[in-house]
Amino acid sequence: MRKEQFGHFLTLMLIFIGLTFVAFYFHITNGAFDMSVMDVVKTMLRIDPNEKHDLVIFEFRLPRIVIAALVGIGLGMAGTVIQGVTRNGLADPGILGINAGAGASIVIFMFFFQMSSNNLTDDSWSSILMMPLFGFVGGAVAAGLIYLFSWRNGVLDMQRLILTGIAISSGFGALSLYISLKMNASDYEMAAVWIAGSIYSANWSFVLSMLPWIVILGYVIYRKSHLLDYFQLEEASAKSLGISVEKEKSILLLSSVGIVSACVSVSGGIGFIGLMAPHIAKRLVGIQHRFVLPMSAMIGMFLLIFSDYIAKTVFEPSELPVGIVVSIIGIPYFLYLLVKSKA
Amino acid sequence: MNKTNLIATTILVTSPVFIVLAIVLSVLYGAKDISALTVWQAITQFDANNVDHNIIRTSRLPRVIAALLVGAFLAVAGSVMQGITRNYLASPSIMGINDGSAFVITLAMVFFPGLPNYQMILLSMVGSAIGAGLVFGFGSLIKGGLSPVRLAIIGTVIGTFLSSIASAVAMYFQVSQSVSVWYNAKIHTVNPDMLVLSIPFGLVGLILALSIAKSVTISSLGEDIAVNLGQRTKWVKAISILSVVCLTGTAVALVGKIAFVGLVIPHITRFIVGVDYRFVIPCSAVIGAVFLAFCDVISRFINFPFETPVGVVTAIIGVPFFLYLIRTRGGEQRA
Repeated sequence: MRKEQFGHFLTLMLIFIGLTFVAFYFHITNGAFDMSVMDVVKTMLRIDPNEKHDLVIFEFRLPRIVIAALVGIGLGMAGTVIQGVTRNGLADPGILGINAGAGASIVIFMFFFQMSSNNLTDDSWSSILMMPLFGFVGGAVAAGLIYLFSWRNGVLDMQRLILTGIAISSGFGALSLYISLKMNASDYEMAAVWIAGSIYSANWSFVLSMLPWIVILGYVIYRKSHLLDYFQLEEASAKSLGISVEKEKSILLLSSVGIVSACVSVSGGIGFIGLMAPHIAKRLVGIQHRFVLPMSAMIGMFLLIFSDYIAKTVFEPSELPVGIVVSIIGIPYFLYLLVKSKA
Repeated sequence: MNKTNLIATTILVTSPVFIVLAIVLSVLYGAKDISALTVWQAITQFDANNVDHNIIRTSRLPRVIAALLVGAFLAVAGSVMQGITRNYLASPSIMGINDGSAFVITLAMVFFPGLPNYQMILLSMVGSAIGAGLVFGFGSLIKGGLSPVRLAIIGTVIGTFLSSIASAVAMYFQVSQSVSVWYNAKIHTVNPDMLVLSIPFGLVGLILALSIAKSVTISSLGEDIAVNLGQRTKWVKAISILSVVCLTGTAVALVGKIAFVGLVIPHITRFIVGVDYRFVIPCSAVIGAVFLAFCDVISRFINFPFETPVGVVTAIIGVPFFLYLIRTRGGEQRA
């Protein structure tokens, strides 16, 4: 039985790896500058390098795809954890206001450090690396507020959780808007593009700034993923199994806030990936979080690369923020889930 | 009963004072210093060559009137929705109605540019109706979907969906800048012709709302009780939807999406005057009008001399209040 399940899981993983490769293939060969597969392979393997191809692949497309992949993985995992911890299938970092909290504090950071686009290239290394940290502070504040307002008689009230999320995201949204209006024009431009959730200004330093967060916190979460299974039971049952529920929940939640903040600091607010990926994963591999977590990360990665490909090509030569593509794809699915779920 | 009567009457009787105060403040203060005397002259002996006179006539007066009207419209729409659906979260901004109307206006600006103002108002109403229809349609499809929280989630999600599609369309046709003017509250650039046109539409909505005020009170007791008391609930619902659509459609066409007025003001009003909608509806109109006009004045000074979108001010005041409601009312109780 166990083995069978594992085999099933492996097959699905392989299928999604295949799909991701297809999306990767489309993404890297298509765009304002079309290239053949051979060109791409040749450039990657350094056979007969060509300056133009180098530029397009290494400076524009590859960092963008890598970021899409990392953000997808991060949001997929964070969504799984948040849904697992809150025992609420509708929870999502975007709906809960964690995105907005991280976003607001990054806008504040941009405002004070005047990261206009011209100094982004040379000496702003430290500030790019600082951004996820600032995002984390904001995300943690949002998470704290959500806890504070939805805590009742020692348990999290799920109804309030969502409501508080709606309130907090509009509050932080207003804060971001207010601060971004105080910026000078070039900073504002950057902040506006970034808030809408886009990754087309990607470069390698962003990849470096978020990689440690995803790797370290992802590992922490994966090690603890079996705990999420126990959290689906009644609180008392989990306690009687000898799990210090509140402590583990806090660790898991904070780790996912960290991952979300790193994602937000690079890509702005991309909603619904964190909602959809875990749902699809659960439908495919069952409810064991050992399987759900990597599956959901995989699906998140695929969805985001695919959405970014659509965002890049559908209205060529102008681009859509990928966040908008994700909501247009994601919301009908969300409504479908709502209709299917039984109250 | 008599006491709430008294409070409500006091509010309604003293309201002209506050409205006049809001108008005076709004006309007197702004980016440009204009003396009270000049303001007076601008109204009594208008001189078309005087810049100050023009500012008063074409910018500040229309602006405060728009703020008063929109505040009243949104607050009444919120009151009616909260009463009829017995949902303490119902409001034009949370239920996707604002987004629906902005969505249709975007499409209109893209595909039929240069429509006359009155058609814009009508289209905006159509949009509100579509938004409301989608949200309540999904609400009734889903088991327990009409409960306050579920409906709020559906409303938020559908609102995001509509505004995502609208911004994608706007970006594709490269009109996103003129469209974003509709999305964001643009009370400071209100169009005087539009203002004159919108008054009759809004008044229809207000009169409809007042005419069903008594029935709203009965509906707020629950569907069964309303039926037992001999109320024709279908009629009441239809009229209330019509009224909400008129009010919100006009408000969005006039100044764009403004959050929280429609949610917060009805609650404040009920705290003050109780649950009899014959008082709640007129009082919320007055309170909403004054509230938005004052928020508009504040919005000029937060980042002086630049304007802050009034939506930021209403959110700053509205969000803490919303959180307070969640904290005290809890998730499952009803209004």
